[in-house]
Amino acid sequence: MKSANSKNKLKYNKVFVDSFSINEKQLKKDLKYNSITAWDSVGHMSMVALLEETFDIALEMDDIIDFSSYNMGIKILKKYKINI
Amino acid sequence: MKTFSLNSVELLDYQPNRYPFLMIDHVSKVKPGVFAEGYKNLTSNEWFFPIHFPGNPNMPGALQLEALAQMLTVAITTLPGNKGKVTHAISHTVNFRKEVLPGQKFEIKTKVNSWNRGICKGFGQGFTDGEIACEATMIITIPEILKKFLPKK
Repeated sequence: MKSANSKNKLKYNKVFVDSFSINEKQLKKDLKYNSITAWDSVGHMSMVALLEETFDIALEMDDIIDFSSYNMGIKILKKYKINI
Repeated sequence: MKTFSLNSVELLDYQPNRYPFLMIDHVSKVKPGVFAEGYKNLTSNEWFFPIHFPGNPNMPGALQLEALAQMLTVAITTLPGNKGKVTHAISHTVNFRKEVLPGQKFEIKTKVNSWNRGICKGFGQGFTDGEIACEATMIITIPEILKKFLPKK
């Protein structure tokens, strides 16, 4: 059986894959805001919206601003009791 | 929020475009954050008819789309705190069904599908003589709001 953390990681990765039309390999290099065309201002908001829907949370404004990379997002989600 | 209308003067408070690029004349019904409907009357005196095209005047598709986007903008700029704010287009996908001609009333219906953190996703249709002339899915933004949520580079 998969742990809650590993289920969360699958869901977290899927948010990025679906939002930016990328493959999971690209996430291993700590994908950053504006490092790919799809993660622009609109892509950022779409990704945040999907993340909120996926984990049923509402990110605070400061966290949306600080969410500047894949790894940073993992740290931020801990605040919302989502461990990845 | 209540539904209301905006005449040609009142709508200028909610739509920053001006002649010759203002493509809506009247907002018949707007429910802020939900929908906006109205029209542009097209006379032979429109600046674009003599040049698009000589002998076969019809409203350029780009301007039909602009009219839809301007109406959708009103659905957002009428929300509290957004009055007078400038909007930008992000992405539009449009289909054109028929020519829009001098003497016709170009009726516009737009709907907000989502409005969140400075980004509006919406849909609009333009009609002449009760038939669809064009329809578009649109994404517009108020950059002033959107920028507040973006990571620092």
